[in-house]
Amino acid sequence: MIFKALKAAIKGVIFYALYFVLWMFVAPVASMVLGLKEAIETFVAVYITLMIIGEFASGTIFQYFFAAAKELFIIGYLLISLNGGLVGGSFQNINFVLDIRLFLMLAVLLSLLGFAKTVLQAINYVSEKAEYAKI
Amino acid sequence: MKVAIRMISIATALSWIFLLAFTVSAVYSFVKDIRLSFGEIQMPTRLTEDNEMVISMPITIENTGPFNIGLFNITTEISDEDGFVVTRGNTCVPIIKRNTVITINHNVTVNITDLFQKGYAFIFNDTTLVLYESASMSIAEILPFRASTNTTIAWGAPLYNLSLGEPEYLAVNRTHTLIRVPVGFENHAFFDIAGNLTIRMYSSENTLVEQEQTTIEAPSHTIYNGFAEIYVKSTAISSSGRLEIYLQTSIITLNLGEINFG
Repeated sequence: MIFKALKAAIKGVIFYALYFVLWMFVAPVASMVLGLKEAIETFVAVYITLMIIGEFASGTIFQYFFAAAKELFIIGYLLISLNGGLVGGSFQNINFVLDIRLFLMLAVLLSLLGFAKTVLQAINYVSEKAEYAKI
Repeated sequence: MKVAIRMISIATALSWIFLLAFTVSAVYSFVKDIRLSFGEIQMPTRLTEDNEMVISMPITIENTGPFNIGLFNITTEISDEDGFVVTRGNTCVPIIKRNTVITINHNVTVNITDLFQKGYAFIFNDTTLVLYESASMSIAEILPFRASTNTTIAWGAPLYNLSLGEPEYLAVNRTHTLIRVPVGFENHAFFDIAGNLTIRMYSSENTLVEQEQTTIEAPSHTIYNGFAEIYVKSTAISSSGRLEIYLQTSIITLNLGEINFG
């Protein structure tokens, strides 16, 4: 259990550090786009939570449920928070729109790939269990 | 199975890293390394030979980032307050390479003759024109970005406050009479008005009695007060009729009005 907690904590810290580094680059844009900071913070918080819970549930079938939930959450949250890929804002009487639909499409595809991987892992886990039970 | 899953894991992780790194660095580079400087809008001081007004704006694009910019496009649309589109101008640069600075001249052409034929309001009334500016580009040639803004510019009417006075009849000699119609207006436009004032006299039977031209010159931002004059044989002046006054310039021919007499 301590090992699991330690692993979850390390993963959480690494992910947060990654977010922290990326945020330094995104910060200038976030100051122009209303609500972007809050959306990213919520995303990171939920993602880390699901990651930690998944880590605690490792070694059980529930690990894959949480992993699948994480991938589905990424898809849903990106689609909703990024407004379908058109991020708009205004700065000193100038309105702007950044079209990141290509990024969104690739992110959704990668998440679907992650989801498929989780399903395969779950199948593998169940089949391995069945094999051990047979032996 | 395990090998396949591991391969998918590695491929997914690498793709995520690449996707995030590329998107974040492209957006960061766009915010930090790209500078757009819009120069002063150069309003014309006179018209071209084709009666066109060319509004010019120099734009400097500085791309010091690691990515190229694709399809840089500047669009200007000038319309009146009712939404009538006066003109639309477009300037496109297919690609701006990294570490380059380029300056382009964005021109918007307005044909004054066409403009006056479409709406007389521009001739007689000062108004405000709405200037819509839009700049679009592809960040790193992949991510489309568009910024737009609205601003207003003042339009000065060339024949503001036009007035035709009562005709004056002056006997020049025993046979001829000089008829003078006072004409006044303020030229609020940025261009000079030079041409002829044509006055035509018609009898009550609608036949042309006489016509004459007077040269007119009204520099930009001046008040013009002059006369449209016509010499007529005193015997030819009918008891009733009308005077028609036209303004003919290189830009437009315009009926300024009719004055009935008798």
